[in-house]
Amino acid sequence: MSDTDNVILDIDDVCISYGDELAVRNVTLPIYEKKITAIIGPSGCGKSTLLRSLNRMNDFIHACTQDGHIAFHESDLYASSTDPVEVRRRIGMVFQRPNPFPKSIYRNIAWGPTINGFSGNMDERVELALKQAALWDEVKDRLQDSALNLSGGQQQRLCIARALALEPEIILMDEPCSALDPVSTARIEDLLFELKESYTIVIVTHNMQQASRVSDFTAFLENGVLVEYGETEDVFTRPENERTEEYVTGRFG
Amino acid sequence: MSTESSNNLAWRHKKATAFRFFCVGVTGFAVAILAVLIFQVTSLGLPWLDMQFLDSFPSRFPEKAGIKSALAGTLWLISLTAMISIPVGVLAAVYLEEYAPPNRVTEFINVNIANLAGVPSIVYGILGLAIFVRFFALERSVISGALTMSLLILPVIIISSKEAIKAVPSSLRQAAYAVGATRWQVVRSHVLPAALPGVLTGVILAASRAIGETAPLIMIGALTFVAFTPEGPMDEFTALPIQIFNWTSRPQEEFHELASAGIIVLLAVLLMMNAIAVLIRHRGSKKG
Repeated sequence: MSDTDNVILDIDDVCISYGDELAVRNVTLPIYEKKITAIIGPSGCGKSTLLRSLNRMNDFIHACTQDGHIAFHESDLYASSTDPVEVRRRIGMVFQRPNPFPKSIYRNIAWGPTINGFSGNMDERVELALKQAALWDEVKDRLQDSALNLSGGQQQRLCIARALALEPEIILMDEPCSALDPVSTARIEDLLFELKESYTIVIVTHNMQQASRVSDFTAFLENGVLVEYGETEDVFTRPENERTEEYVTGRFG
Repeated sequence: MSTESSNNLAWRHKKATAFRFFCVGVTGFAVAILAVLIFQVTSLGLPWLDMQFLDSFPSRFPEKAGIKSALAGTLWLISLTAMISIPVGVLAAVYLEEYAPPNRVTEFINVNIANLAGVPSIVYGILGLAIFVRFFALERSVISGALTMSLLILPVIIISSKEAIKAVPSSLRQAAYAVGATRWQVVRSHVLPAALPGVLTGVILAASRAIGETAPLIMIGALTFVAFTPEGPMDEFTALPIQIFNWTSRPQEEFHELASAGIIVLLAVLLMMNAIAVLIRHRGSKKG
């Protein structure tokens, strides 16, 4: 693991519980800038919960409590002086199922910048975001059509474009391809490589091949515990932990 | 084995068919009663329904009597009631669904709003009389009536709006929050537009109830014989159901026919309100 990388998110001894149920236990994990970090693990292991804690989406779940420390550029993500709305603008999110707004393609992209006080050229911003998400050529002639008329894969790329339009520093992706067919999945994976140039990406995935293909670092979670973390190649080819080896070779999960 | 199961299947089909006929029968019965009612009302009232009827004040002489003051009163009443109850009801529903923490106080409020929806209208009349007419000294004015009606229909508006807001998928809210929206921006731009059709349905149901209510208006002292139309919210008034009730309680047959004509007008106002709601809903869904 190279020490020259910059840690943009520092997850330190984080526990998250729903009521009495502990979902994430004492996870300590660095997220490096402009790298793709994959979080893998069996269903219900706390991957999504951990991911959602990184842009404070767990705030909306009552009875969800959190201990530990998450630093974003060395400032406490959960300090009382930190505005969660600002956090979510700088740390974007793409969800498991495509969830475009039931509005036009254009409005889907433009809404975020608009409410965050963007005053530049909106047409250019929309075009750039759609190009970054590799969707522009398919939709440039029908920007005013409803986003709900797009295919599932297109909708998911639209959701990525929607996140990109805010020029976030980090993009969190919660199993972004789980509802998509293999062709759409491949397109999104290609996209991830391009986005890595300018963005930090944290991706939760069920798909081992996907994790090994796209990520630079991999964290393996089981029952809320971080079993292993390291460079993806190491985790997949010479895992230190037996459970990790069993999981990445498909013996369970 | 196979005959046994096919026999069984035939019996199940019979039961299914029987149930279908039962449902058709029950629906047909309800529709038939409604048809008889409408037929009776129109056959009695339609000959009396003309411009003279719409444009005249009540009179001791049936041929001179009209519904102008009651129609104007009802339009005033329903407009003011809508202006008061829709914003209050919808915003209360937004608070209870989007803002209120899920604790015992919220639960208490929710349960009691449901209870209030079942309180007889005459009780609201008494409340209106005590609070608006007497305490706030608004007298027997349109505004007293509208405030009382608002109290009466608020629970219905709140409950139906709450249901409509609850039905908005949470993925939509999350999408909006994830691009750095504040709660208000999420509610205004996504939750309310998505909930609008359901909210409108509730509002129309509530307004339909208000337009037909008589008891609370009599309680707060709406007049039964009014020879003027309200000019402002502080004026005295009467309303269609009161006028209809008044005519049906007279001995002369002609007044009963006038009452039927009044019912036709009341139904027409109701249908118009429904049409407006459908129109708004249609525009809302097209814009999406």
